[in-house]
Amino acid sequence: MAQDTAAEDAPRQSFAARHRNLLLGLTSVVLFFAAWQAIFLFVPFNKLFISKPDLIAAGLLDLIRSGALFRDLMASAVPFFYGLTAATVVGVALGVVMGWRTRVGWALDPLMTVFYASPLVALSPLIVIFFGVGLAAKTLIIFFLSVFPFVFNAYAGVRAVDPLLINVVRSLGGREIDLYLKVIVPSVLPYVVAGARIAVGRALIGVLVGEFFAASEGIGYAIARFGDLFALDKMFACIIVIMVIAVALTEGIRWAERAAFPWRAGQ
Amino acid sequence: MADTLRTDAPAESFTAPTKSLWRQIEPAALGTGSIVLLLIVWEALPHLVALSAGTKMFFTTPSRVGVTLWNMMVTGTLWAPLGVSAAGFGIGLLLAIVVGLPLGVLLGRSRTLNAMFDPFITAFNATPRLVFLPLLMLWFGLGVWSKVVIVFIGALFPILINTYEGVRNADKLLINVVRSFGASEWDVARLVVVPNALPYIIAGLRLAIGRAVLGVVVAEFFGAEQGLGVVMVQAASRYQVDIVFAGLVVFAVLSLLMTGLVRLLENRLSRWRPQRLGE
Repeated sequence: MAQDTAAEDAPRQSFAARHRNLLLGLTSVVLFFAAWQAIFLFVPFNKLFISKPDLIAAGLLDLIRSGALFRDLMASAVPFFYGLTAATVVGVALGVVMGWRTRVGWALDPLMTVFYASPLVALSPLIVIFFGVGLAAKTLIIFFLSVFPFVFNAYAGVRAVDPLLINVVRSLGGREIDLYLKVIVPSVLPYVVAGARIAVGRALIGVLVGEFFAASEGIGYAIARFGDLFALDKMFACIIVIMVIAVALTEGIRWAERAAFPWRAGQ
Repeated sequence: MADTLRTDAPAESFTAPTKSLWRQIEPAALGTGSIVLLLIVWEALPHLVALSAGTKMFFTTPSRVGVTLWNMMVTGTLWAPLGVSAAGFGIGLLLAIVVGLPLGVLLGRSRTLNAMFDPFITAFNATPRLVFLPLLMLWFGLGVWSKVVIVFIGALFPILINTYEGVRNADKLLINVVRSFGASEWDVARLVVVPNALPYIIAGLRLAIGRAVLGVVVAEFFGAEQGLGVVMVQAASRYQVDIVFAGLVVFAVLSLLMTGLVRLLENRLSRWRPQRLGE
């Protein structure tokens, strides 16, 4: 879990220190955009090659006012939602069964590892050819990319369940369903949420792959189209919108993790 | 995250200490069995179910994929594109290590720098790298460099963030000891910080490899003229499904091999440690 905790170092800092970090971060972002804007006072500006913050802001406003941005975002959000929901349901169910039934785990673990390791993105041309351009293909690509984090994290979560708790429920006459509802689900949930954070990132890749390949709408399609049109201001605007959404989603889930499972904080 | 959560031995606490032969080989047997079963069902499917003419065009069997892969290897049509892909992968990963490692150490040692870089690292790490591909194609064209940059951006952050994490975990006492003996910041990094962070760095490398392979495939799908990914897209548009699957197999085997190698290195390096770090 070491790889994604950059933002949450030093568990107990004074309020002033945290404030300082925020200020430093804001300053550097502002400086970055100021430098980007200023550099074209000295360097010749070629709008077919690069854009500037003021043009990007204007392009973004234009996209918002015309409603194009909203339309594209909605077109991407629907398959994103469908694919991720399906991945959650299927992945968690599969992972729980794999963790709970030892033999199922043995049987499916290598297979899932092979699937997870192979760049399944590579199948997207086939999916697009088979299902055509549209919702079904995009949903399927998103599903395939985001299901495995759920499988593996739910699997790990079940195996981390305290056997003592299981024995207690059994000794007190609990049935299989009680085990699932009272022991397994509460222990697995933090793992599933952690998996969701990875899955969201991969689902975003799925959205873009699906839309770069073949689509007539969506935010990924917008980026590719503005690139083809050399409309770099609008292209940058869309890229920044995606960056903001990606950060909001992953940091949102991270925040939810810390709020809901404080005992796992810092992991 | 998913990688670090996975442990290799499946719940051994349920099995008795003295095991029969079947007990010992059961996990492996079930594991290979399910893969073999899947392949057999896939192979037999066209014989069991009558596929429509349209579906047949998109359908292939494991044996046909195997034969195609063999032919590609023998006739040499595999090696040239694979070489191009490998070059993009290698250069990108190398650049990511060269940049990510020192930067990670630097950010781990300096709170101010870390706070200043943090927004950018968070933003770029959360964003799918693919977003930049149309832009990179404008800047670098369809050659190897847009591919290299995509691989670089993808692989940089796992290495950078894990190095940072490892550096932050360095033993303060050791650092103070080295300092008391008059060590410079460079000595501190060389003697204490980097060796301590090594397991983290290797774990980051493992993640980086996965992302780099994904980067190569995706970059070649949309913005390249040569490479195995290009071969696969072209095959898909000609309905040569076996070539697509053959390419997929090659990529999967390579990424499994490389992550396996790094995992070996990881186990070897963490052997002297009391407990596994980075998990």
